[in-house]
Amino acid sequence: MNNLALMIALPLIAAFLLPVINRVSSLAARWTGPLVVLVTSVIGIMAWTQLGANAVAIELGGFRPPLGITLYADQLAVLFAIAVSVGTLLLWPDDGEDRIRQSTLTLILAASGSGLALSGDLFNIYVLYELVAVVSYGLVASKGTPGSLAATMRYLIVSAFGAALALTGIALVYQATGTLNLAQLSQLAPTHLNNMQGLAAFVLMLVGFGVKAELFPVNTWVPEVYATAPARVSGLLAGVVSKLALLIIVRLLVLVFHQPEALQIMLVLGILGVVTGELAAWRARDFNRMLAFSSIGQLGIMFIAFSIPGQAGIFAGLAVALHHLLVKPAMFLLAERWGGSLAKLAGVAHSSPLGAALFILLALSLIGVPPLPGFWAKLLVMINLMAQESSLYTLGAWIIMGGAALEANYLFRVAGSFYHRADGQTPPAAHRPRDLATAALLGATLAVGMFVIMPLAEQLEGVADQAADRDHYVQTVNPEALP
Amino acid sequence: MMDTGLILHTGAFGLIVIGIAGIVLSSHLIRIIFGIALLEAGANLLLLLATWHEGTSAPIIVDGHIPAVMADPVPQALVLTAIVIGVGILALALSLALRIQQAWGTLDIREIRQRMEEEIADTAGVDLPSSPHAPKPFPPVAAKQEGRS
Repeated sequence: MNNLALMIALPLIAAFLLPVINRVSSLAARWTGPLVVLVTSVIGIMAWTQLGANAVAIELGGFRPPLGITLYADQLAVLFAIAVSVGTLLLWPDDGEDRIRQSTLTLILAASGSGLALSGDLFNIYVLYELVAVVSYGLVASKGTPGSLAATMRYLIVSAFGAALALTGIALVYQATGTLNLAQLSQLAPTHLNNMQGLAAFVLMLVGFGVKAELFPVNTWVPEVYATAPARVSGLLAGVVSKLALLIIVRLLVLVFHQPEALQIMLVLGILGVVTGELAAWRARDFNRMLAFSSIGQLGIMFIAFSIPGQAGIFAGLAVALHHLLVKPAMFLLAERWGGSLAKLAGVAHSSPLGAALFILLALSLIGVPPLPGFWAKLLVMINLMAQESSLYTLGAWIIMGGAALEANYLFRVAGSFYHRADGQTPPAAHRPRDLATAALLGATLAVGMFVIMPLAEQLEGVADQAADRDHYVQTVNPEALP
Repeated sequence: MMDTGLILHTGAFGLIVIGIAGIVLSSHLIRIIFGIALLEAGANLLLLLATWHEGTSAPIIVDGHIPAVMADPVPQALVLTAIVIGVGILALALSLALRIQQAWGTLDIREIRQRMEEEIADTAGVDLPSSPHAPKPFPPVAAKQEGRS
């Protein structure tokens, strides 16, 4: 189990050795990256199979908490660490002249992403979050056009602003408690952070980490970046990185911040995210922007779901998050060749029937048409929202319904135009086989998920149970802490 | 009489407010980057102040003599890390600004945004998203470039 630390260490070492390896043999350098990420995926999956109801805390260097740095591996953390490794493997950058530079950045992304999922310490989370951010600037700007540089610049401004706010929040937490270890914070929170200072710290961290999670007021970078970045990078950011930021916020909510106001703020921002995202997606006239805005809307649904108190909220939120994790990267892979005006896609089903069919499968699941997994995820959110007493939650449920209607409208509009006759239009270039194969793999996973939905749900409920169990977290990290 | 802690805290929050104002209100890219630097400085100072007390000494044991009141070394280590990250991001931001200036000859964030929107719309082959109430676009770049560089 201790080899989970390798999920962070291996890609980091490989990243910095890669330029050296490239000097010796460019063929070896080409395969080092994917191989390392494959190994970390296997490590993660093996850890997942060994991990039962009991989580594991890893003390790096043998220093006990609160002085040492802990990695906390429960099923939720390992699941997201696997998602990072597998995601980077599937979306590996393989073209272009600066392949080595991009591979290096992707390896660092894999390392810091796994670290973010496994970290049990607030300051480590901050450092790794910044690492993810810096790496994503490099990946986003990799096209090198003035437009992509400008989008990166604006992304960097929002992101640096958010990171500084998060750091301010961390400073407030440290001032109140004198520790940054999440387990210890969880013990001290009821007495030290159950006040205005705690709430301020939470809001600062919510907005700060929310930048990557496409939270409502700080998501201005999303449409610009996803329109200018390579489609693989967009898929990685929308699919994996946004969920990691969400994971941090969920951990903070479960362990540290228990004020009902905290949940309400998140709920309101989530509702605003759904409204703005879906409306903007409905108005979008080009493929990449439509996907970008729809991802803001989907992340809004996740924020709404996670704002439901207790284990039910985590279960519902996880379901939507994992579903989006599968669907959005596949859609961005299709956008690699289909990017641009939606009008140009008319009749595209005649030249690329498989691509069109895949898009429709993904779109149906995203809208939430039964019996696809997307339907079950949304149903779970709706049931739990309606079970809450506060009318704000009911409003959230209605907003999600309205959002689904809008989603159906714009996605069906696009899907319908695929089957129009293409009058004298030159169809867009055919998908590269690798893109199409990866998208098909994700689509197939979705389709298989449809048939094993009940066992999947049971498994996921176990994950949510474990993640919501605060005492278990404290006990695992520091066995002497609780009587 | 003012005590030092109050002055330092005021300074930290002041830096944060000035930094946010700089990011939000400025339209010049370099000023925005300075705003980020100030905001980070404020956050770092606040983190340092989290366990600060007057009259503490560095937690170093010299010749077996243990200082009576030691400063908490954790925030200092953390701030050191945060400063390093901040400098790296600052350098990256300035180099991006340089590349943008070379490409478009402007550092005005509104103009950069408009050009970026134009480029995105152009590559996608769609019209610029606009409404009748949208502010007037900037004049073409050639007219503005004179007298700048």
